[in-house]
Amino acid sequence: MDNSSIAVSPKKTFGKALLYTLPMFLVTFMFITGGKPDFSDPARTVAILVTFFGMNLLYFLMHYSGKTDRYRAIIFVIFALTLSFTLIRNMILIRNSMSFSQADILECKIPFCHLVIPMMILPAALTKSIIFPGTILGGFADIASMVVLWLAATVVLGRGFCSWGCFYGGWDDGFSRLRKKPLVKKISDSWKWMPFAVLLLVALTAALTMIPTYCNWICPFKAVTEFEKVTNVESAVKAGVFISLFGGLVVALPVVTRKRTQCSFLCPMGAISTLSNRITPFTMKIDTNACTQCFKCVDSCPMFALTREGIKEGTVSMFCSKCGKCMDSCSRNAIHFGIRGVPAGTRKNFSRNLFLFVSFLFMAVFSSQPIVFTLNSLYNLIF
Amino acid sequence: MNKIKTTAGITWAFLGLILMIILFPGLSGFSKSFGTLPFMKINPRYSGGEVAFTQSAGACTLAVHKPVFNGLVRDRNTGFVQVDWRGKIPDQIRDTIDYDNDNVPDFVIAVDTKKPASDCCPLSGRVTGLGISSRTSFGWAARINLRKTP
Ligand code: SF4
Ligand code: SF4
Repeated sequence: MDNSSIAVSPKKTFGKALLYTLPMFLVTFMFITGGKPDFSDPARTVAILVTFFGMNLLYFLMHYSGKTDRYRAIIFVIFALTLSFTLIRNMILIRNSMSFSQADILECKIPFCHLVIPMMILPAALTKSIIFPGTILGGFADIASMVVLWLAATVVLGRGFCSWGCFYGGWDDGFSRLRKKPLVKKISDSWKWMPFAVLLLVALTAALTMIPTYCNWICPFKAVTEFEKVTNVESAVKAGVFISLFGGLVVALPVVTRKRTQCSFLCPMGAISTLSNRITPFTMKIDTNACTQCFKCVDSCPMFALTREGIKEGTVSMFCSKCGKCMDSCSRNAIHFGIRGVPAGTRKNFSRNLFLFVSFLFMAVFSSQPIVFTLNSLYNLIF
Repeated sequence: MNKIKTTAGITWAFLGLILMIILFPGLSGFSKSFGTLPFMKINPRYSGGEVAFTQSAGACTLAVHKPVFNGLVRDRNTGFVQVDWRGKIPDQIRDTIDYDNDNVPDFVIAVDTKKPASDCCPLSGRVTGLGISSRTSFGWAARINLRKTP
């Protein structure tokens, strides 16, 4: 373990980076292939191998180059795209349409996603039941598995879930990278409190109406997953809201601001994850001895988690999603992954190695299914 | 003090590492245990509620669910009763339902499964009309809107 303070580079030699990749290679092999690879289907074999080697190559590059966000974002964006592809393709295969029907609601067959969690807490406590037309166990995206996955990721990664685990976050993360420089630089960061207001609003309205109001009326990602069939004025208004919010907060604003505006200004789950940052073992730290106060990190942060005053004081706010973008922009390695209780500026590489293993493992395994499914489908389509 | 904090922090981080390593292989077991918690059941507003009674006619079974009125803390004045036809459903369905079993018919429901079209004729002041009516994987299901007090 290193204890040095100034400019410890996270870069490693080729051999050392390879050595650090080996455990990830073995664990992901076990988890992605289930330990007993089945090579009988060529399309699936190719899909699994490409996913497995691709993931491990990116993990190797994180260690070798010392850059985190650059390689994380590749998987994160692919995760978002392939998850939408998987959902839409499944729906089209099963229902011939991207919208769900009344029968799916009657039979409780709607796939569950973590964005429902903020709305199900109050009714679960008071009525001892879940207000969502999904399946508790078994089937695609069942409620129990999704809650367990989210809970574990949130306890360990905190808001890191929003940069390493959420299958929606990759959308606005991806769009925020399309321009090299932002067109709009000045946005009030007070908007970052907005998700707490949305959280309160949807938790209360869902409890009062017993309807997951965010899913029904607001969620921008309905535009790229599944939504209610447009059959009347109400469902047309809903579809309009979904598409406008997706176009505005997930596409347009991230492109012009280079910030993750949907995640920062709307998502109620982001608000819960933000609060969970207070208990997680991993945090971002600022080594004030190494920091030259150039504030490049403040400009690069897509989540409005850094302020100039905070940097001067050596603090990172709870809005941090541990994406590592600020680290990649800091030539002094002054801002770094840290462990709660461990003083800033110490054990930098140890903390980064441990955090990368934990967060990357979650992302790699969680994202592997939709990636494999998409590659498999594309292979079948081409050959 | 610093040493204690550092040790506690690193221990917490390693516990996180262990949790991540066991999470995926143990997911189905963890989910099963989680799924048995008392609040892990679908609210009757979505599941349609428990089946109150069934009637068979040939290869088709009619299931009438218990009426659903539940709200957050107490029952609401409005709700619904779900009726399912399971198995081999006929092209034309017409059933008179007494959902509360008081020997007084509450509504007549007619479904043309081919068209498809559905109609509900209330016979009681508590029945307010047809809610959802749709083909399902098991046959056909309909929800008839109710109010508690006529
Ligand atoms: S803020 Fe919401 S949509 Fe964005 S990454 Fe977090 S949970 Fe996902
Ligand atoms: S502070 Fe750094 S790690 Fe946290 S969200 Fe901002 S750029 Fe990402």
